[in-house]
Amino acid sequence: VNSASSDNIITVFDDPENFNVKHQLQNKWTLWFTKPPSGKQDWNELLKEVITFESVEEFWGIYNNITPASELAQKSDYHLFKTGVRPEWEDVQNKHGGRWAYTFKNSKANDEVWLHLMLAAIGETLEDDDDNEVMGVNVNIRKAFWRVGLWTRTAGQSPKGKAAEGADPKESQKRLERLGKAFKEVLQLPAQDMVEFAGHAESAHTGSSRAKAKYSL
Amino acid sequence: ETAKRVEPAEPTPGMQALKSARFLQIKQSTAYPDGIKSPNPALNEAKKARAYDKDFLLQFQKVFKEKPTIDWDQKVKDTLGPGDEPGSARGGSINSAR
Repeated sequence: VNSASSDNIITVFDDPENFNVKHQLQNKWTLWFTKPPSGKQDWNELLKEVITFESVEEFWGIYNNITPASELAQKSDYHLFKTGVRPEWEDVQNKHGGRWAYTFKNSKANDEVWLHLMLAAIGETLEDDDDNEVMGVNVNIRKAFWRVGLWTRTAGQSPKGKAAEGADPKESQKRLERLGKAFKEVLQLPAQDMVEFAGHAESAHTGSSRAKAKYSL
Repeated sequence: ETAKRVEPAEPTPGMQALKSARFLQIKQSTAYPDGIKSPNPALNEAKKARAYDKDFLLQFQKVFKEKPTIDWDQKVKDTLGPGDEPGSARGGSINSAR
């Protein structure tokens, strides 16, 4: 430790009440919550921004003081997205994207799985520096299952008429497959359990989130 | 509103520390207390980004438990809390007496 940088550095591990440095994340993140519908609201009104943060310490202050996924009611979602991206297909930044997803066939979420997925996102361990695919992660609590997702910027194809914008479908597919592999590792799934990728455009077209998987790993 | 809690008027020392703390410089070598692991150096050599491995991040879980703001419990209740329909959500249960 050189003396210049060790001057007066107090981390949260030294003193949780008087620390003077915090650990910055590469990106700012916003936590969103989808409330279960209770009548006639639009999905839009059910989607609420909870908080935005940009340090490791802030993340834990939030995580330690918010309802765990395992205690959420059916039809709730948490979404943790890069700040400035709405967790919706319709967001212009998600329009040409897709998501990796895995569905667990029990009704109670495993908090550790969701936590590890969030940590991989904010810790930037899911993708290579230049891949720039990760938009956010989410968890959906449903009646007989729960599901985690990893939303991506591209979906392995040039958007119609946009080939000139430099979106190479083959490169996109390679990035997405690397990402899917990392996603599966974070979830610690056995090899035979498949994570599946679908483009948002296809999902929107079929009118449900059960679009035919485009890739599976 | 009998269940309404009285919030502390002042931020806690931990909240204030979080607010005033500066960002640690990325290449700043930090001496963590004994038993605390630094972020995986291999990860940070391989990446330009600020990257933190799971084991490093998990060390904070039991150490930093401050609520983000003094009105946080109310905010969680308002944002996650039950809708109009009774029993439609269980948000806010972390603060209930159960």
